[in-house]
Amino acid sequence: MITNNCITLKDVAIGYSRRLLLTDINFSLKAGEFTVLFGPNGCGKTTLFKTILRIIPPIQGTITYGGDSYPRFGYVPQRQTLDEIYPFTAEEVVFMGTFGQSKPFCPATSAIRIWIEQCLKDVGMLEARKQLFSELSGGQRQRILIARALATKPDILVLDEPVTGVDILAQRMIMELITLLHKKRELTIVMVTHQIHSIPKWIDKLIWINNNKMMIGSSLDILAPLIAEEASPQGTLWH
Amino acid sequence: MEQLLEILSPHFLLKNSLYAGLIVGFVCPQVGIFFVLRRMVLLGIALPQVSNAGITFAFLLHTVGFHFLPHMESEKFMALTGSVFFTLVAIFILAILERRRKGFTENRIGFTYAIAGAASILFVSWNPHGQTEVLSLLKGEIVSVPDIYLWLMLAIYGTIFICLVGFHRSFVVVSYDADMATTIGKRVILWDVLLYLIIGVVISFGVMTVGPLVIFGFLLIPAITARMITRGILPFCIVSSIIGVVASFLGFYISYCYDLPTGPTDVVLLSAILLFSFLGKMVFTWISKVNQ
Repeated sequence: MITNNCITLKDVAIGYSRRLLLTDINFSLKAGEFTVLFGPNGCGKTTLFKTILRIIPPIQGTITYGGDSYPRFGYVPQRQTLDEIYPFTAEEVVFMGTFGQSKPFCPATSAIRIWIEQCLKDVGMLEARKQLFSELSGGQRQRILIARALATKPDILVLDEPVTGVDILAQRMIMELITLLHKKRELTIVMVTHQIHSIPKWIDKLIWINNNKMMIGSSLDILAPLIAEEASPQGTLWH
Repeated sequence: MEQLLEILSPHFLLKNSLYAGLIVGFVCPQVGIFFVLRRMVLLGIALPQVSNAGITFAFLLHTVGFHFLPHMESEKFMALTGSVFFTLVAIFILAILERRRKGFTENRIGFTYAIAGAASILFVSWNPHGQTEVLSLLKGEIVSVPDIYLWLMLAIYGTIFICLVGFHRSFVVVSYDADMATTIGKRVILWDVLLYLIIGVVISFGVMTVGPLVIFGFLLIPAITARMITRGILPFCIVSSIIGVVASFLGFYISYCYDLPTGPTDVVLLSAILLFSFLGKMVFTWISKVNQ
């Protein structure tokens, strides 16, 4: 049952170096919800996303996190931001997800190794564990990054453009995986995307950002007029 | 063989130089892996030069009668203070400018290298008394390492090595994905500052012992070689240090046998290992393709 607010934004303004991108942001994310932040490139959705994750401080307003403590985030970044020079194996990338709880000078315990194996199994990448992360395909890398996020044992799974730059088949597999994680594990999910076709119709909340404005509603409320506009001869909104 | 036994003898006259070289060969590649992975290779060239400018400046001050610390009589320790000070100031200024994205990284580092190189030469030319020692440092002649300096070096490099191993996960995650590191509760700035501090101290001590050229070689070449021939971060770190230690020992042995300066011999040897690793990898890849 969706009742608890796990993140609440009140009168928040976001941006970089005092340059405002969005103001008057007010919304809540509830535990167990699947929320999508949607909008064209450069509209500020990643900035909003990073502000929620406390990577960037808000310029004004308050963000409160429900529960007794700050929630544990499982963060899946845009994979293009990760440098391929690092010689990590897939397993080592997933292992990074446990670094938040590990103590310095302590080697990985067998429980951690089993947990990493489980995370790799959950995303269907156990066989590729010894392969170099940089040698994997775009879709495989994305699944490894999801496994890394799962390894943090997250309260909230946050994904930044998870299907951008991968082929159609891989896009479908990734979306199926995210859907499965949401439905089976009842994980709270926040996903950022600029691709209209990657948004599942059954999501709980859609936050649409465009031209410094935000609209919040169900996917049907917001997507139907956008799809109609996309289908029109002038429909170049998202490209 | 006779010379090898002589080098390995506990009564060997130059044993401190050998041990200092081995310590540098073992620890520097562990710092160098972060230069390579963070794509800061150019910084690995500029910082030893800055450290060298600090040393020459300290010699100059010493000659004209200024002292950093009261009762500090040893020129070597004064030079060390100059080296550490110059390197830390330079690394933190460069890091702040990098973070604020002021101008191009290459321009900043190129400028730092040029000004540090020029300053070193000017400081030496104004200081004929310290010229001999500074020039031997520039040539990388690891001849006289006093006992106290070796123990100090062992303590500092040992502490740094323990820090790098113990906090390896934090350094790696902060370098690889700073945003993710923040979400799992890592204080990125704190870890970055600690890493820069370690880099500064390693370079300062290293330049004092083996000179800027050799430090550059030991920081970067083992890590570049290991990156080419290993899979996974753990083998990468282990192989880097093995290459450093092997090159340091063989370099010392060759330079002792043929009366060559140790530092440049080490660097040539490191480069040869890099070249052979590259060729070996090419052959291996070719054979794998043919077998498929």
